[in-house]
Parts: sequence; C-alpha cells; structure tokens
Amino acid sequence: MAPANEFPGNIFFYLVILGFGAFFALTVIMRLIPFVQGKRVSRLDHLPARVRDFFLIMLAQSRFFRRKYWYSGILHVFIFWGFMVLLIRSLNLLLDGVSADLSLQHLLGDVYTAWRPVMDLFNVLVMVGVGMAAFQRIFIKPERITINRDAWTILSLIFLLMVTDVLGNSLEIFRERGDKDYFSFFAFGVANLWDTVGLGRGTAEAAHTVFWFSHLVILFAFLDYLPYSKHSHVLTVAFNVFFRNSEPTGVLQPIDIEGIMERAEEGATFGVAKVTDFSWKQMLDFLTCTECGRCQSNCPAFLTGKELSPKAIQHAGRVALLANTPTMGSILRLSPAVPRTNGEPPRPIDTMGFESIWDCVTCGSCQYWCPVMIEHVPTIMDVRRFLVMDEAQMPETAQAALMQIEQRGHPWRGTTFTRGDWMEGLEVGLFDGSQEYLLWVGCSGALSERNVPITQALAKLLIQAGVSFGVLGDEEPCCGDPARRLGNEYLFQMQAQQAIEVMNVKGVKKILTACPHGYNIFRNEYRQFGGNFVVVHHSELLAQLVQEGKLRPREGVEQTIVYHDSCYLARHNDIIGAPRRVLASLPKARLVEMERSGMTTFCCGAGGGHMWVEESKGEHINNARTKEAMATGAGVVATACPFCIQMFEDGIPALEPDEEKRMRALDIAELLEVAVAARGKEAAAPTSDLSAAGEEVSAGP
Amino acid sequence: MPLHIIACVKQVPDPEAPASAFKVDEAAKKVTPAAGVASVVSQFDALAVEAALRVKDVASDAKITIVSMGPAAARDAIKHSLAMGADEGVLLTDNAFENGDSYTTALVLSKAIQKIGDFDLLLFGRQATDWDAGVVGSGVAEILGLPSVSIAKAVAVQDGKVVVERVLMEGYDTVEAPLPCAVTISNELGEPRYPKLQQIMQAARKQVSVWSAADLGLDASQVGAQGVRLNLERLYQPVSEVECEVMEGETPDEKAQKLAQRLREEKII
Repeated sequence: MAPANEFPGNIFFYLVILGFGAFFALTVIMRLIPFVQGKRVSRLDHLPARVRDFFLIMLAQSRFFRRKYWYSGILHVFIFWGFMVLLIRSLNLLLDGVSADLSLQHLLGDVYTAWRPVMDLFNVLVMVGVGMAAFQRIFIKPERITINRDAWTILSLIFLLMVTDVLGNSLEIFRERGDKDYFSFFAFGVANLWDTVGLGRGTAEAAHTVFWFSHLVILFAFLDYLPYSKHSHVLTVAFNVFFRNSEPTGVLQPIDIEGIMERAEEGATFGVAKVTDFSWKQMLDFLTCTECGRCQSNCPAFLTGKELSPKAIQHAGRVALLANTPTMGSILRLSPAVPRTNGEPPRPIDTMGFESIWDCVTCGSCQYWCPVMIEHVPTIMDVRRFLVMDEAQMPETAQAALMQIEQRGHPWRGTTFTRGDWMEGLEVGLFDGSQEYLLWVGCSGALSERNVPITQALAKLLIQAGVSFGVLGDEEPCCGDPARRLGNEYLFQMQAQQAIEVMNVKGVKKILTACPHGYNIFRNEYRQFGGNFVVVHHSELLAQLVQEGKLRPREGVEQTIVYHDSCYLARHNDIIGAPRRVLASLPKARLVEMERSGMTTFCCGAGGGHMWVEESKGEHINNARTKEAMATGAGVVATACPFCIQMFEDGIPALEPDEEKRMRALDIAELLEVAVAARGKEAAAPTSDLSAAGEEVSAGP
Repeated sequence: MPLHIIACVKQVPDPEAPASAFKVDEAAKKVTPAAGVASVVSQFDALAVEAALRVKDVASDAKITIVSMGPAAARDAIKHSLAMGADEGVLLTDNAFENGDSYTTALVLSKAIQKIGDFDLLLFGRQATDWDAGVVGSGVAEILGLPSVSIAKAVAVQDGKVVVERVLMEGYDTVEAPLPCAVTISNELGEPRYPKLQQIMQAARKQVSVWSAADLGLDASQVGAQGVRLNLERLYQPVSEVECEVMEGETPDEKAQKLAQRLREEKII
C-alpha cells in the first residue's frame, strides 16, 4: 500500500513522474542534436566480443579490480552493483505507486522476497561506499579526483536515496508487519527500532509518506540532474562500453583526403576543426568521463609537469560539445545560447589548448586505465591533424621533421649513412620474392648511428640461424609512421601507398621488423590501404629461434638486466613475453623488473612523433623513465625498440656524469648476439662489447 | 596596380646527403649524386619564396610568379613554391641549358623575366646550395640594369620602394631602393612556411608554363656549355684526415699541463 495510491498522493505522484520525465526527455533530445550532426562511424563489428566486454567491463566491473586503485575499486563496485540491484526496488516503488496489484512484490511473490535481503545488503554497502568516497575526498584528497560542488551533490543524492529507501522501507514494515519482512533484514532492524522508541501509528504513517515521496522525488531529481553533472556516465557508460574500440589501441583511423577536398567549398576540414567534426562515439566519450583522473595519473606528459592532462582534454571536449548544444534556458529564451567569441562557439582546439595537443606521446596509458573505455588518443590526434593539415600550426621541430620526410624520404636529418651502409661486410641479399621474410630495416635501423649496430646484430643472428630473408636496401621508403603520429595524414598516406606498392610488386608476404612502430603500422594500419602482410617483431622471432635450438646462447652475460617495455610493443600490441624469453635464455644473466612494466609500462617519451619534437616543459620523459630503470640497480637496460634505446642513451649520461658508473642500454638482439657468439667463419666480434665501460653514443637529432 | 613579384628557385641535390653519396669525376669535371639522393628546393630559394609571401601577407593583391631553370624534374620545386602560396610558375627547360655557369643561368633567367614583364620585385636565394657561387641574383640585376641588394634578412615594400634589412657581421643595414629591384635572401630571414594541405592540393591546379631556349629568343651558342664565361680549372673532393691525440692524466690539472706542453711543441702557442 503506497502513499501514492489515493488522492491527493496520486496527483503528486503522476505530476512528479510527468514533470521530471518530460524535463529528462527534453534534455536527452537536445543533447542528441550534435550527435546526429557528428561523423558517422560503425561500431557494430565483433558483436559477440562486444557482448562479452559489456558483461566483463561494465557489469562485472573488471577494470575496478586492478590493484593500483583498489580503494576506489571497492567503493565503486559497492555503489554500482548496489545501483543495479536496487533498480528492482525503485521499479517496485513506481509500480506500487500506480497500484499495489502491479508491484513486483505482488507479481513475483517469492522471487521478489528472495531478492529483498540482497537489496538490503546493498543498501548498507552503498552507504559504506559513499562513506569511503567521502573519507577519500575529505582526508586523502588524491590529486587525480575532481572534488567540487557537483561531486558532493552526487554523493549526497546517492546517500539520501539510500537513507530514504531504508527509512521508507522500515516504516512500511513497521506499519504492515508482513510475515516475510525479516528478509529485508536491515530495514527490519530499523523497524524494530521504531518499536523500541514507541513510534505512534499516526506519526509512522506521516513519516512513511514523507520518506516514500522523498525517495521518489530524489530519484527523479537525480535522473534529471545527471546530464548536467560530470556524473552523466551513469546514463552513457553502457553505450560507451558496448561501442568500445575493437581494434588494437595503437591504431589511428584514416581520413578520406580526396573526399574532403571535394567538400572543401562547404567547409570540410581534414582534422577536427569544430566539435561536430568528431564522431558520435568521441562525443559520447566526453559525456562519459567522470573525471576520475586515472588517465591523468598515468600520463607520462602530465606526470613530468606538462600542460597535457587527458582528463582535462575530455572535459574540454565536453565544454565544446555543450557549447554547441541547445540548452533548456536557450530554448525557453531564458538565457543566452552559449558563450561565444566573435559569434562562433568555442572550437575543440580553443578549449583543449595547443600545448596539450602536442604534448601527447600516444602511449595509450590513459586508455588502459580508463574504466569507462574512453578513447583519449584518437581525439587528441584528430585535433592535431587539424593543426597540421588545416592550419599548418605546429612546433618548429615537428615542422622540420615533416619537411625532412617530404624532401628526403626519412626523418633523420644530418645522417651520414645511406640505407645500404649497414650491410657492408654482411652477407645480406636484396629481397626478390624467393625469401621467407622481408627484413624491414626502417629509417632508424639504417640511418641512426645507435641503431645501425642493432640491425647488424640482428642480421648476423638471422644468418646464423639460417633464416631466409632479404632487404629492400635503397628502395626502402619511410613507412610513414612519424608523419601519421605528427598529424600529417596526407604525407603518411603517400608514404604508405608507396611502401605497399614496393612490397606488393616484390611479392612480400611476411615482414620482420625490429621496430614496434613499424610493427604496429604494418600489422594494424597498412590494411587500411590494401596492404595485408604477416608481421613479426624481432623479439618474437628471436625467442622462437632460441626455443627451436637454432640459436644457442652459450656465452655468459653476467649482468643484471632490466627490460623496458616499448608502449607500441606491449600496451598496443600485447608482445610482452617474447622479449623476456630472449633475455631469460642468456646464461648467467639476472633479470629484474620495473614496477611500471608490461601493460602498465611507462613511456620512454619518443612516441607520438616526440622522437623529433622538443618537449614543451617540465622534466624530460626519458629522464624520468631512465631514473626508474636506474633505481632497479641493473647494469643494463634492455630494449626492443629503436626509439626507446635512443631515449635511454640520452637519459643515462644526463643522469650519471661518471662514465664508469653508467648503466648500459642494449637491444635484445645485441645481448643475444653476445651470448650466441657465432661459431665458425661468421665468428666476427659481436657488434657490442659489454666489457667496455659505457661508451658515449650520441642519440638522434 | 597590384605588386608583381618574381621569385627564382633552383632544385638541387640534397646538400645534406652524406658526402659519400657524391661521386666526383675529376677528368670530366663533373659531380654525380648517387641514385638515392633526393632533389630539394635550394634552401635560400625557399626563403626567397617566403620573403615574397611575407610581402603578399601585407599587400594581399600582390602576384607571385616562380621561375626555375632546370630539368623537367625542377617542376617539383615550382609546385612546392606554389603550394606555399605563389600564384604561377614558369619552368625553363632545354638540353641547351645544361652544364652552364652562373652567367648563363643569369642570362636565361633575365630573358625569362623580361618575357614575363611588368614586374616590381625580383627575389633570389643568396646562393644555391649546390655550387654556392652566390652570383646569379646580382648577375640578373646587372644584365637587366636594375639595382640589387644582397644578403637580406627582411624585405618590405612601402610607397613604391623596397626596404631591405641587409645582414652585416656586426648587425644589419637598412637599405632603401626604388622598384623594380632585385634582392637576394639569406637564412636570417627565418623559416619558410609549411603549406596547409588545401594549398598543396590547390597547387596542382595552378598554371605552370614551360619555355625552351627558343621561346626566350636564345640559341645554343649563348647558353649552357657553350655560353660559359667561367673556366672551371679543377673539381675534386678534398680528403681530410683528422688525427686526435687524447691527453692522459690522473687529474684535470695534469691533463691541462700536458695539453699546454703539447701545444707549445706544435708551436701553436
């Protein structure tokens, strides 16, 4: 028997539902307007995986069970599961308000009764969760969390919902004394309290009415408030998880350059100039960000004192999106439409900021930690594309790097090598279609002073193991990765098409590369332009050759080695075990790990084109990572990426002036070569000499 | 009357390619870059185009014509300049132009410039980054009887005059000259602008005329190998040997003492 079943309660009941309901519906419709104008993308592929991830990530809250944020994980799981569980009670309340015969208690009988203890348990757990959250925000105050009036409003509303629920429930039990009421054990306990204090029947009835209607109003007020709050993820997260990115995280989507040129008259731009250039999914991301700050706390740029915060980017996106959305006030002509400068609403670049857009190293750490599946990197890169291709606005170093690729076909200005120099003295032949692998040497592998010895070490190992491979030599173009990461999609597409053509003409089927960026681009992105190849990273092949006995590490490598995971290898492409298997095969080597390793690896700082672009301010990212490696006490830091190793070679002397004490930086191929120490006539000295005290090797430009 | 600026560009083999990529044939007195060496716009010429664009930033109805003498591939240099924002291009290509010197180049460019006609400002890079002679710009001015200012770091057009900041060792001079005038641009001007993608794609639609020696009223005896006024005596790649002696010592003081002694021995101090 609900207070809404008869006059005047029922009037109020329907007024609340209709009034708040209408407001909510209007809000949703207004909010959907820019979504309809946004870019169309399809996220209906891999449906079984989407359903699976919906269960795992959203319902089972899998990302909240990570150790790093265990405290927040517990409190969120309590509150979220509580919400799901207590939806049943809310539904029951609404139906009961219409008629007792419609209530779930009536319709489902014992099934509903069995659910009652679960709901009461979660009444308690939600309040515990809110308490934990309040404690965290008052006393611990982690930097990542946004604590403002909005945040406290949400917490208070949740708490009030629980309080009104429990109290209303307890008063109903007190009044009606159903025989199964003890199932609602918590409310039952509170009802006994009313007994003890001798609550009068009239007071009980009045109090029950108050709490019942309060719960209803707060529920609907909460619903209506959500879209206007940073807590709107409650409404959007189910969609954001279901429509998540299904490709590897390191992938950027192509732009239809020709198509946009044709629509240039209508104002079409290559990157994201205005907020409706974003896709509906990117807009959904903005509304799903709860500003929890896990992304920010794991962003190498933010952690080293730069402008960029991925959370701030999402917030800025939201500001720009809402500025392009009609508001209730503007529809009712109560308030001006939007804060405008020169008659135009703010653009994403205005709210996000030039420096932040350029600080990003595309390491993907933000996306790994985000519990609601926001895709930070492509959003930043889309604005970067606008800056580069539409506005030609970029840091000088970025411009120089792009000019190099355009004019010279590689980004390594000042190199004294040609693409064939590394082959001198080695029996490496050109690829002619008869070999199994094309060894893609890469611009770094051929032209960068530090990387040439690595290419040579790898080639020697391959020759010794009898691997069938060839190279492109002088015909090898730049794969285009730096162009794409620097935002010049046009230059990238030209390079990619050129590279794909060269490889297809020669009949390349399998590509072997020592570069994770090349690996990522050949394996995951070239197919966007019709290039389909089997791609193998050198760590995978070397691990396999060792396992098959084709390479036998026998010479001791008496070093403590710490392995640094390249972002593009580990986080973006799941290659974590293979390099470690190579290192584990080195006799007498002792392996140690950094805390931020594997999927949580910390970027060396060279991603996103930053191998060539100066950092804006703060500590150098590579120095921060070098410090971390040095703190393990290892004598050697092992890498499997031509960028990472150059970053360490820069950082090590910067942090340790005494040459004798320096950590060495070596590629896994170089280490393996020392251990394998070729027998027979290929027994030239290994390319690296571990016994020599740290030679100073100059890194890139 | 809108300003008409003509900027001359040369396409050269990449001056930053490693030295080993260039082969010098001493007997034939010719240098050939290896196949992999890229062709780029000569660095100072790109700045000449930039200087023209900066004038156009102020006088928006100005017209910029790019002129280049070279093989058919020099068209790329013109296209790049058009993408930066120039309006039209002229390619001067003819077998007869080959193996000339600064004089024949200046002559050919002068004829082309006269044929284009109606110009106010001629801009050149101070020197081409392959031969680095640094003469063509002033040479064209000489042939056409125009004033010229070389090694500029800034160019502005005001009230029918050109105002040039000319680089000196100690600073710079501000020079005024009447139009029409020739100016050669130095690297102190700054950086050439990066074209927006729209501009790159629009460049394909801009007009590029192609003229031969005959179109300029020149015959083979006046240009290229036959028209040279400079006698190239010898062309060779200098061999440099570097010997590095490292001073050993227990302390920095000791090393410094040894260094001082050594410099004395070599009669350097």
